[in-house]
Amino acid sequence: MTAISEPVTISARASRPRGRSILFHPKILAGLAILGMFVLLAFAQPILDGNLWEGKSNIYDPQFGFDSTVTHPSAPSAAHWLGTSSLGRDVFSMLSHATRPTLLVALSAALAISVVSLVLGSIAAYRGGWVDGFVSHLSDAMVLLPAMIAVFILGIGRPDEQFGALQLGISFGILYGLGPATATVRAAALTVVAHPFMDAARIAGGGGPWIISRHILPHLYAHAAVQAMIGATGAVIADAFLSFRSAVGEDVGFGQMVYDGIVWSGLLAGIAATPWWIMLAGAGAITLLAAAFYLLGVGLREALDPRMREIGGDWR
Amino acid sequence: MRVNEMGEPAGGPRLPWFVSFLGRRLVWAFVTLLLFLTAVFVFVQVWVPYSWATQFLVGGSESYQAALEAAGLNRPIPERYVDFMGGLLRGDLGTSFGGEAVVDLIRDALPVTLMVFIGGSIIGWVLGELLGRIGTWSRRPFSGAGIASIGVLSATIFPPFLVFLLVRWLRDPLLDAREAMGLPRDSLELWRGAVTGEPGALTPGDVRWLIALGLCAGLAVALVIRAYGRRHQLPLVEGFAIPAALLGVGVGIWLADLGPQALDLLYRVDISATTGRGTPALALLAVVLLSFGQVMLVMHAGMEAERTEDYVLTGRAKGLTERAVRDKHVARNVLAPVLAGSFLTFPTILAGMIIVEYELEMQGISSVLFDAIEFQDIPVIMGVLVVLGLIGIGFRLVTDVTIAVLDPRQRRGGA
Repeated sequence: MTAISEPVTISARASRPRGRSILFHPKILAGLAILGMFVLLAFAQPILDGNLWEGKSNIYDPQFGFDSTVTHPSAPSAAHWLGTSSLGRDVFSMLSHATRPTLLVALSAALAISVVSLVLGSIAAYRGGWVDGFVSHLSDAMVLLPAMIAVFILGIGRPDEQFGALQLGISFGILYGLGPATATVRAAALTVVAHPFMDAARIAGGGGPWIISRHILPHLYAHAAVQAMIGATGAVIADAFLSFRSAVGEDVGFGQMVYDGIVWSGLLAGIAATPWWIMLAGAGAITLLAAAFYLLGVGLREALDPRMREIGGDWR
Repeated sequence: MRVNEMGEPAGGPRLPWFVSFLGRRLVWAFVTLLLFLTAVFVFVQVWVPYSWATQFLVGGSESYQAALEAAGLNRPIPERYVDFMGGLLRGDLGTSFGGEAVVDLIRDALPVTLMVFIGGSIIGWVLGELLGRIGTWSRRPFSGAGIASIGVLSATIFPPFLVFLLVRWLRDPLLDAREAMGLPRDSLELWRGAVTGEPGALTPGDVRWLIALGLCAGLAVALVIRAYGRRHQLPLVEGFAIPAALLGVGVGIWLADLGPQALDLLYRVDISATTGRGTPALALLAVVLLSFGQVMLVMHAGMEAERTEDYVLTGRAKGLTERAVRDKHVARNVLAPVLAGSFLTFPTILAGMIIVEYELEMQGISSVLFDAIEFQDIPVIMGVLVVLGLIGIGFRLVTDVTIAVLDPRQRRGGA
């Protein structure tokens, strides 16, 4: 551990007293709380299946459940906490079932973003010269190819077996990682390699991989984390739109729940009431989950660097 | 970092800063554009797993091969790449599998998209900046939490749901407003000439271009007048130049007898949309709501960080009004990084707009894009991506120039 140079404190300013964990930043706290709620929600359906809903899988199954005692869509009740969809599925069960793949999308996207941006950013800053020139132009160019639109092109009309949560998350992560994330991380890495400890490491006889992994990367993790979280926000919304756009049959997704509500209220406009419960459950889940990642990203950025001037400098 | 090495050239005639600055940015734009086009090519031709021809797989391998050949997809990739880049040089984006030139498809769809995107993101930007600036400085209780929650909501709301809410609550009032303004309930009546193909008839496209050019000219004149007012300490001239110019353009459109048509473009029910959900005014509003939050959040964080700076104290000690400290000193310092950062949020806003447009069934770029994805129409997909990228590069150049005007330190730095 001693080989790791003192981390570059981006800012030692008043807004973060020394020694106080960044976890106490209100935005980070809020983000973690919402995320924790979703992790609990993801486990709710399997747990309820074994207890309260035991033996009632024909009613509460998120894909094929149907309760023949009520007319669907039905409003929230004691039997169906968030009501039922127009196909008769229990909304709470769908919500819980859809949480796992969506979390997988967000996490795989975050991971891909971190890996791509850390590798490219650190190598570009360390090597400099044409390598740096190429990476910086490439990231500028990839910003122009929006990851969200690109995954629509990849994913619309393809079944889940071909383009599921993992593929979506990784594709989104690679595209976003090559663009905005690499641009930001590379700029941060440039300020790291300008420090005198880099010369010391070189004089000590360090080779490229050692210097990059022990002296550059530790200073970049936080920057990559910010980008990973903000990118995950986009991945959640992209996933929801794909589920919304190709909402058919047995799939269960947040976007599909919004679709169900919109189509139903369009079909029966003026005849039946709008099934707000299913629409709000879907749209609320999308916004809350996306907001959790967004809050984590924005909070991290503010906690690490309250002076936006320097962040702006990074972004150029 | 590189700023120090790239000092002013010693001796020789000195060019005005913006000539060399613009030159450098244009070189940057050219290299980035080349890389971007290559990336689009690789993405669509190598990564995207389908092609128009896979639809013929059901007909056996023979018809599949024939379709591949007809679409030129059986040629080696380098050859296709050279073809693609060569076509772009001539301004040719290829031919869609349906037979139309891609350029024509996009040209018909672009005005709606540009109006909604540029108008919406500029209004969103100004609104976000204003709310972030004033809301942060006022220090009312909960203003910080309020800004954070509204900003996060705006950045993360699911666009189709937002559109659903807007259509549900605002479509009927908008249609009533249409009638109250004396417009016929059906847009078709205003554009009968264009629809029936009467020669020389006014088309929506003509009016859109006319308005866009008028606005550009009006704003350019207003900016010059405003700069004059600032230099000669005429606050009235400075303050009212832009509103007056906008009013002038509006009156000009009215005097030119294009009033109903211009209003119709904002409040219209699209001619070809079967369900008639799309009015550009709604799309504009949706893009504003999707884009203002991120700007507001960054502005808020920046203002909050500057609050404890020494120059704020100095300004107050000198007896400046709180407003002058806020607007002339703090905001100006915060603005440049906010502008620079807005380039990175550009793709998010663009994607949001594509979804909004699609949901409102407007005949813009997104309907072209989604149709193309549906039919696996590779040339059209590539064409749309290229055009979106060009818009992005233009957007970046404009923000770069604005930043350089705001902050002289940025004028010498390269990329």
